[in-house]
Amino acid sequence: MNLKPTIGIETHIELNTNTKMFCRCRVVDTEEPNVNLCPTCLGLPGALPVPNEKAIRYITLLALATGCSITKKGMFHRKNYFYPDLPKNYQISQFDLPVGENGNLEIVIDNEKDYVEIERVHMEEDTGKSSHEGSGRIDSATSTSLDFNRSGIPLVEIVTKPVIKSSKEAVAYIEELRQLAIELEISEGKLEKGNLRFDANISVAPSESNELGTKVEIKNMNSLRSLERAIDFEIKRQSSALENGDIIIQETRHWDESKETTTSMRSKEGSADYRYFSDPDIPNMVLTDEFINQIKENLPSLPHENRNKLTETGLGLSDSNVLSKSEKWIFELYFEVFNNTKDSKASFNWITGELQGQMRKLEIKSLPNWFSPNFLSDVIKLIDENKISFTSGKVILEELIQMDTTPDEIAKRLDLYQENDEVAISKIVNEIIDNNQDIVERIKNGEDKLVGFMVGQIIKSSGGSINPGMAKEILSKELNL
Amino acid sequence: MSKKFDITNIAKLASISLSDDEKEKLSNDLSVIIEHVQALSDLELDTNIEDVYIHPLEKVLALDDDTEKPSLTHDEAMSNAPKVSDGKFIVPPSLE
Repeated sequence: MNLKPTIGIETHIELNTNTKMFCRCRVVDTEEPNVNLCPTCLGLPGALPVPNEKAIRYITLLALATGCSITKKGMFHRKNYFYPDLPKNYQISQFDLPVGENGNLEIVIDNEKDYVEIERVHMEEDTGKSSHEGSGRIDSATSTSLDFNRSGIPLVEIVTKPVIKSSKEAVAYIEELRQLAIELEISEGKLEKGNLRFDANISVAPSESNELGTKVEIKNMNSLRSLERAIDFEIKRQSSALENGDIIIQETRHWDESKETTTSMRSKEGSADYRYFSDPDIPNMVLTDEFINQIKENLPSLPHENRNKLTETGLGLSDSNVLSKSEKWIFELYFEVFNNTKDSKASFNWITGELQGQMRKLEIKSLPNWFSPNFLSDVIKLIDENKISFTSGKVILEELIQMDTTPDEIAKRLDLYQENDEVAISKIVNEIIDNNQDIVERIKNGEDKLVGFMVGQIIKSSGGSINPGMAKEILSKELNL
Repeated sequence: MSKKFDITNIAKLASISLSDDEKEKLSNDLSVIIEHVQALSDLELDTNIEDVYIHPLEKVLALDDDTEKPSLTHDEAMSNAPKVSDGKFIVPPSLE
């Protein structure tokens, strides 16, 4: 049976506002529990929520950046469910009037552009954190302990349409969304801190079918690696079930990182189970044209625009994609080096390969103050002009990161400049020819590989100062090859 | 009278189990209610969803600045909790 998977992703982005969504308690990053609470985020009776202006601004920014149409007359709804980490017994969320609808996000996959359609972007609040005491497992815990520091932190939920076809595409989508949140400066985008969390809805259906299969929701994927593996596992599980004639149950499954499997958590709720109704405590949310236009005018350069700027320098789409997702200083360094050298590939390779490699080796996160982008441009130019070897370039770069000096000073001090004087090189070449007449005879009789040996002898005799390319060229000329 | 609902699903959402007789009886009762309420659809209403919602407060949303305001101390926040351990609220296990 030919089967095709279809994936939709729901992502929650924690906004980096100073205060929570519906109260003015500070958002804190601390292990100390229950230190930033008020009657609103504790769900005490009578407390009234007042939305955070910055959070509304941030979600509008994200909705505009993903090409969504903006709901000018929106509102908040109550999503009712019972769980200890939700003290009001409802979450303030949005239902049929989300801030943004029908957008899309450009992604790069296999060196080609693709687009993921976005169904909706809506605003809601985070829950508290519950821990299951005793065994650590929910089903055999002796009690549940609660920390409400996280309760009420603004969350944006971004829901894609069921259009993603593979785990690889899902990862590319999350990477792009994460970068977008960083460029918009609305979130730190740190997966390990839970700034970005995602669930995947996966279904498998016969290839020729126009209808989607039964969808299964996967939760608890906290890294891109687990997202990829969980999707691959689930596609395989559902495919073999269908091939065996089994029925797929609509349910929520839990990704078990250590066992690399998904296990059933509960049968999936329908939206009717949440008994949504408009929150009577919060007036309608009207976004004026003035408010929207002001945000539109201040949109920063978006990741796909940065990617386009990079491809315009001649860099391939895949490399441009990598660089567009790097830290800002790396992105800016590339343009400075490229503007000096006009060599996109060398600029990219030296920055992402050698420079970052050296920095990792030296365990430093940022370049020292003395390091000028011109240094890197100079190294690339010296190699291009055959004045130093590639290996010498690496040596120079390593010193530049650790010492306030210049490429020229290092090249002179370590005697790294190559001999480019043809007369001087010819002299050495002829000496080597005279001393290795037997080898020369064998080369003339067709043993081409011995040319390499001769070049090696020439470089050795010059103490490494001769450019191998030039040595070979002059040798070939002298031997009439 | 055609029934425009699925009584089995409604029973499931309400978490009640119904016998076939009860389903039949409740279906008929619900049909009468729905038919009655359907008189509303004869009214000409603006169907723009953004305008459909009637909100108890006509006021347009007021937003608050993202500036911290002091509130409860940790001890005040925990003061009414029946059980506290290591600074956390302790409640019965989620599943029993």
